[in-house]
Amino acid sequence: MSVAAGPLRLPFERPNVLDLAPLYEILRREAPVTPVTTPVGDPAWLVTRFDEVRALLGDKRLGRSHPEPELASRISTAAVQDGPMGDYETEEADHTRLRRLLTPAFSAKRMRALTEYMQALVDGYLDRLVTEQASAPDGVVDLHAGLALPLPVAVICRLLGVPESDREHFRSLSYRMANYASCGDDAYQAWNEFTEYMRGLVETKRAELCEDVISDLVRAQDEDEEFDYDEMISLCVGLLFAGHETTANRIGLGTLFLLSRREHWEDLTADPAGRVDATVEEIMRLGAPGDLGLLRYAHTDLDIADVTIPRGDAVILSINAANRDQSVYSDAEAFAPDREERSHLGFGHGPHFCIGASLARTELRIVFAALAQRLPSLRLARNMDELEVCTTITGGVTELPVTW
Amino acid sequence: MKVTVDQETCVGSGQCALAAADVFDQRDEDGIVVLVDPVPPADLAADVSHAAVMCPVQAITVED
Ligand code: HEM
Ligand code: SF4
Repeated sequence: MSVAAGPLRLPFERPNVLDLAPLYEILRREAPVTPVTTPVGDPAWLVTRFDEVRALLGDKRLGRSHPEPELASRISTAAVQDGPMGDYETEEADHTRLRRLLTPAFSAKRMRALTEYMQALVDGYLDRLVTEQASAPDGVVDLHAGLALPLPVAVICRLLGVPESDREHFRSLSYRMANYASCGDDAYQAWNEFTEYMRGLVETKRAELCEDVISDLVRAQDEDEEFDYDEMISLCVGLLFAGHETTANRIGLGTLFLLSRREHWEDLTADPAGRVDATVEEIMRLGAPGDLGLLRYAHTDLDIADVTIPRGDAVILSINAANRDQSVYSDAEAFAPDREERSHLGFGHGPHFCIGASLARTELRIVFAALAQRLPSLRLARNMDELEVCTTITGGVTELPVTW
Repeated sequence: MKVTVDQETCVGSGQCALAAADVFDQRDEDGIVVLVDPVPPADLAADVSHAAVMCPVQAITVED
């Protein structure tokens, strides 16, 4: 097999929800920076090798904004990571402000302080699943609906100060927003509805601001005239979206990895506390829902891996492909929590590194340690290939039927 | 083992403080790294080296 002439079109079909298209291996070897066509038909560069992806994530010559946004390549019809974001002139200052505002609320110390609360939530979900399983005629329960989804939703609601009773509403908006298989402009319609919802919530909260992230942002926006109201609203939408969708996904994928590779599940159940950290990192490395990558635009002409990317071009940095680069990871496609190499790009790299990484890591560690401790005989109730996969840019499964 | 951090480079991700809480902390106001123990005991070596590896901007240096 060799790389076909003419640009390849994203997304590349994958064999199943855990493995990536074999084409990525060829690209890493033969064309680590290669022209592609985005799902909506626009030109872009796809970067697949670890070294280049990591270097470009830390490179200030690329940004999320575009000097002439109306000319920019678009990626998908979803309403997130779909095209340029923010103002070209002020991108760096805006981003610095955003990080400064949010970072303290998601610090490692704050997340550690939430450990007991998260543990109590997980224990509660597992108690309910155990009861449900005992009375289910076939003994099968859905781990997605009963644990993977409600946990991150409850935690992000508490941190942001969003009523949990709104969850059905923002869940369905999130799904529509991230859907790239939607008809027409439904994803944008959902984004607008989400924005409306958030405006309403912010105005209700304004009357009685408390100790939560949305209240902090409202206060900060009030005090800083450079901080635009609409920007604050879309930031709140982004946080609520990023705060549950991604984590729920990784819980689902992690469960699939472990249950389809029984020996690793048994290793974990033998020593949950000792092995959970490494297991979670391996889930983060290989769990690759969605098939695009992180989107940037070149802010100047730049040379990389013998290719010149002209200013204004879209660059898709495939962290999924980079995380399976054989020049960095031995037996890169294998799920191997004991591997030496512990770093990966699952939370990004450089200045945009995931703000929620400590939160997500803490949640994932609690979930997998608790599952291994309480349900050591856990197994999938159906064949992995029969599970429904989301058509959202964040990917993942919509159900996780299990039994024990 | 001797540890140094670069507060200018740090983006406040807190991965070091998550990996080795006795050695790294974060400033309350902006999340930037604070080195609590520049010469940590040998039994923390593994945690400290994880912290350095996990740092998304390579702001942590560890010398033997
Ligand atoms: C396992 C779960 C998660 C994964 C895999 C994940 C992944 C990522 C990745 C890859 C990036 C980098 C984006 C880029 O460079 O363009 C990112 C950024 C971000 N993530 Fe997460 N994330 C997760 C959980 C969370 C949570 C729980 C939050 C909650 C607040 C969150 C908030 C953010 C924010 C605000 C950014 C933007 C940071 C910036 O641009 O400076 N993430 N995430
Ligand atoms: S891991 Fe690196 S970027 Fe994150 S707080 Fe520590 S020093 Fe700063």
